[in-house]
Amino acid sequence: MSYIFVDHLCKSFVVRKKREKGALLREKETVHALKDVSFEIEKGELVGYIGPNGAGKSTTVKILSGILVPESGTVTVGGRVPWENRKEHVSHIGVVFGQRTQLWWDVPLLDSYSLLKDIYRVPEADYQKRLKELTEALQLGDLLRTPLRLLSLGQRMRAELCGSLLHSPELLFLDEPTIGLDAVSKLALRDFLHWENKEKGTTILLTTHDMEDIAALCSRVMVIGHGSKLYDGGLQEMLSKYDTKRTVQVEEHQNIDHVIAAMYKDLGL
Amino acid sequence: MDTLRLYGRSMTMLIKSQLQYPVSFLMQTLAQLVMEGGEMLAVILLIDRFDRLNQWGPGDLYFFFGLMSVSFYLTEIFGRGITGNFPYLVRSGQLDTILLRPRGILTQVLCSAADPRRITCIAVGVVSMVIGSNLSAIAWTPVKVLLLAEAIFCSGWLLMGLFMIEAVMCIHSVKSIEITNAITYGGRSACEYPSDIYPRWLRMMFTVIAPFALVMHVPASMILEKPLFGWPVWAAFLTPLSGAAVFGIMYLLFRKAMKYYRSTGS
Repeated sequence: MSYIFVDHLCKSFVVRKKREKGALLREKETVHALKDVSFEIEKGELVGYIGPNGAGKSTTVKILSGILVPESGTVTVGGRVPWENRKEHVSHIGVVFGQRTQLWWDVPLLDSYSLLKDIYRVPEADYQKRLKELTEALQLGDLLRTPLRLLSLGQRMRAELCGSLLHSPELLFLDEPTIGLDAVSKLALRDFLHWENKEKGTTILLTTHDMEDIAALCSRVMVIGHGSKLYDGGLQEMLSKYDTKRTVQVEEHQNIDHVIAAMYKDLGL
Repeated sequence: MDTLRLYGRSMTMLIKSQLQYPVSFLMQTLAQLVMEGGEMLAVILLIDRFDRLNQWGPGDLYFFFGLMSVSFYLTEIFGRGITGNFPYLVRSGQLDTILLRPRGILTQVLCSAADPRRITCIAVGVVSMVIGSNLSAIAWTPVKVLLLAEAIFCSGWLLMGLFMIEAVMCIHSVKSIEITNAITYGGRSACEYPSDIYPRWLRMMFTVIAPFALVMHVPASMILEKPLFGWPVWAAFLTPLSGAAVFGIMYLLFRKAMKYYRSTGS
């Protein structure tokens, strides 16, 4: 069986609407966040997971990381059911949310990392080795004694990545890691992800709205919309399929956003 | 053991981060002193006006007040994760981050905050207890010291249990701050005085629902040798355990609420 195996996954939320005037009870509405989604990801793959806002990307990531329990469907990650044994599962994965910090705000990075070492029970020798490796790859050496609050957005994202990889997870979820970063930081981050994936064999699932990220990193793309999987395959095939305006192979990716927009339109999103 | 070490390290780090802003820390610590000093002033004025409340003399009243201050603010320093931070963690989605780490949820919540500013409040409480002990001429024995330690320890669990009500309701997306504040902060203010001075229904509330009377007043009255309800010593050792029981119940409810959280999400 594949490393990540998702079969007929369904998840819906009950949203309570605002009470209307005169009505006794608030109306409830069921939102189907995921409708029968299936996919498989092999170990060591770097997969881009895209779709418009509210398509169900985060819900998928939350289910795969064990935060949410689905209604129906089968999910295994490395042979484990994510939500059944939370502690065991999360010690094998790393998650970075682009908009949310996991590190401590007012203390130097090194202190945060050292505490994470204790939380994940990483042996001291492994920790030192991994920390050295990551600080070199992410160019964090000079920043280790700086409190998180003094870092710029790009530096902070690098610091977050380092924190989420200290326990050498087999699988890394990235939720919009390049949001708000400048060009140089973005390129550096992509290089690092490429390195982590190739050298360490870490499986990476990347959700993003930045098509450049996808083009630079992922050979495989999954598109989700309205809770269903709409496309799964190579990036080039997807682009040539939905590039209705131009017949020429897309070489420069400056118009890739237009292509994606055309595709979303075509798929009725 | 491992968990205790993690807790210790987290506390050190949190206190370190507060000391990153030394002036602000100092000012707030002093502000706490003024606040708790004001509370004590109320007791002083009351004692000045009335010599006694029921069978309780001035020393007894200082002692009860001091016991509440010390217990409440020790809980605030070391259990701030639960008494202050928990609902915020739920509302802001930080609970997700906690779920992504291979440690117990409650352990991590406890490790998420500390409030060392309350140290001055504890100082006020200790002063009040010393005054009370002198005025009431308490003859301290090992048994009494043990009773006091147990009362303070169990109050911590009781308070954390009561504060968890808010967190649990938050998970069910119910805003309930006023209701829970009535028993937590309200309970603190009311139970600075021995519960037998209150009308029956209030007494019942602080015995059965939020058992401050059982956790603090029964052992304290034993230390003062005026046992509440005329209960024997072994009862005074037994009743504070109700604080731990409240925490246990709330912990079970919290676990149930977490199941709900994981199946609905944020």
